[in-house]
Amino acid sequence: MRIGIPHMGNLYIPVKALFERLNIDYVIPPVNSQRTLSLGVKHSPEGLCIPFKLTLGNLIEAAELGADTLLMAGGYGICRLGYYAKIQEQIIRDLGYNCEMVQLGVSEQKLFGLLKVIKRLSNYAPWSRIISAFRFGLAKLNALDKIERVVQKVRPIERIKGKANWLFAKAIKAIDKADDYATLKRVQTDYIDQLNQVTKDNQAQPLIVGITGEFYVVLEPFSNLDVESELGKLGVEVRRMTFISEWTKFSLFLNPLGMNEKDRIHKAALPYLKRDIGGDGWESVGEKVLHAKEYDGLVHLAPFTCMPEITAQNIMPSTKENIPVLTILCDEQIAKAGVLTRLEAFVDLLECRRRKCNNK
Amino acid sequence: MIRIGIPRALLYYQYYPMWKTFFEELGAEVVVSPPTTQVMLASGSSRVVADTCLPVKVFLGHILALVGKCDYIFVPAIRSVESKVYNCSKFLGLPDLTRAVIPESPPILDIDIDINKGKRNLYQAIYQLGRHLTWYPLRVRRASQAAWQAHLNYHQLMSSRNLTPPQVIERISGTAEAEANSSYLISAQATIAIIGHPYLLYDEHVNHRLIHRLEQAHNRVLTPEMLSTEELQSAIARLVGRAYWTYEEEVVGAGAHYLQSGADGVIGIIAFGCGPDSVMMDVVRQQASRLKATPFMSLTLEEHTAEAGIVTRLEAFLDMIHRRKRSQVKTCV
Repeated sequence: MRIGIPHMGNLYIPVKALFERLNIDYVIPPVNSQRTLSLGVKHSPEGLCIPFKLTLGNLIEAAELGADTLLMAGGYGICRLGYYAKIQEQIIRDLGYNCEMVQLGVSEQKLFGLLKVIKRLSNYAPWSRIISAFRFGLAKLNALDKIERVVQKVRPIERIKGKANWLFAKAIKAIDKADDYATLKRVQTDYIDQLNQVTKDNQAQPLIVGITGEFYVVLEPFSNLDVESELGKLGVEVRRMTFISEWTKFSLFLNPLGMNEKDRIHKAALPYLKRDIGGDGWESVGEKVLHAKEYDGLVHLAPFTCMPEITAQNIMPSTKENIPVLTILCDEQIAKAGVLTRLEAFVDLLECRRRKCNNK
Repeated sequence: MIRIGIPRALLYYQYYPMWKTFFEELGAEVVVSPPTTQVMLASGSSRVVADTCLPVKVFLGHILALVGKCDYIFVPAIRSVESKVYNCSKFLGLPDLTRAVIPESPPILDIDIDINKGKRNLYQAIYQLGRHLTWYPLRVRRASQAAWQAHLNYHQLMSSRNLTPPQVIERISGTAEAEANSSYLISAQATIAIIGHPYLLYDEHVNHRLIHRLEQAHNRVLTPEMLSTEELQSAIARLVGRAYWTYEEEVVGAGAHYLQSGADGVIGIIAFGCGPDSVMMDVVRQQASRLKATPFMSLTLEEHTAEAGIVTRLEAFLDMIHRRKRSQVKTCV
């Protein structure tokens, strides 16, 4: 049994660590590329969204490398995501690969459901080993996200543009290589120190732009043409609430205990959107309302034809809490120049707005 | 008397008799918006972002047509009508969306229908809705029972007499006596099944009078409503195992059924940018190419769909089916 997984941001690093510790045979498909996208687009129904097409491309590339068991997210009551695994399995079979699809219910299977799937994949390894491997995977995930938060702060004010990104890329590699907690800890503190020592423009007061929207396109830089770095280059500090480590912390551990970090966001959205509409639509509206005071603007990322985000996009302009929102729809037609132009215009607008506010 | 507006769009075709009975039993007057026109579609489209799907734009056009003609507008948020089967986000957010983009609309009566939350929750939701019209729980109860009965009768009429929703609705409201269905059936050249959501199949403006065109070309037209629930469910079970979407029966169920029996050709109708349909219609298309028994064509509708384009494709499809039938007859002889 050889397991293949789709990509989403840097998720492959913790998953790899988990598989290695459990001696599971695995393939990590090449990172998202134009080829991945073309493969996905070629074999998908045309009306489907970019997360489907990219993950399908990943899974096909994994199958090409000999994977016979494919892991994919799914589950009822979210959006089309619940249907993905079913169609992707059919498409990959029709292409002539004999693969089994294992679906991870992201909404209904909590921690135990996930661990059970891992147990099955690891050929019934003892629980103690599974839990220790899982913990190590989580530690890597947390380290990655901690460094990324620092990178977000440094990017807009660094003197030499691109330094933070360069360090981040090196940090990702180092975390990937680390194979015990001590090394991991050292790598984390080491890179955070290096990032803090980057020469910065300490006078600058960067604009603050929040990033919200659909989970996958927010987290996968290939699908959104790396909006975060581009905003950083324009001297804007990016804030986002969506991190994989946050998601795992809450949906695997704290939600079953009755704690929900999203309650605050949902409460904020309540006057405008009374109910969960699937996907991340409720959160998108809520984040706009919640952060209207602290952010200068909001970039709303959504896949083209995404049902929850279109509903959210329609509701957003009607909120009393008024901050500029730039919605960027991501699909296979999206082009760098177009996105850059829009981002530049958006940042100009935010600067004017801030100047006006200061003058008053 | 309180006037309650019901837009002639989206779920109207599935539930209108039920809603009408419910509100009339509670002593309200029901106002329905007129059939879709280009003006309504344009006014609806102007309120939302371009990526919004056609049916929602039509729906908002109907809401705008009702502004000033009623005291309340009824917009339900239907999450699920079967356990563990969910609906498209646009249906869930419909009341909020309407409120956000049409601030001048009369107050919106919304009701959350979610079977997964249990019976008690459903009854409470119905009572909350009735509260706008009466204080007596018993009256609400009686009205909802009558409404449910009306709903069952409606569906029974459609499946037993092979009628389409607009025909039955006309009959219920007594505006027309259309019983001309059987006269030309004998001379029908071919039987064409059209599958898709009722708000696309029966909105004549949106689909450019598709049913009418098919009938004029001497074809018998079958629709998903003419199948019984059992037939639809067994067809779904054969093809995908278990329904994922609330309105999957009228697409995947009807498609799987008609591809195997009862039709010479199947036309699938979807709206551009429809999330669930992009998946469901593809399942049907794959099944059609696997079976190779019944020709299948899918038509994608949007506000720019030109009449000539639809007509050309329809004629080509029908020509092909007629030729195919003739050659089949020849080989038999």
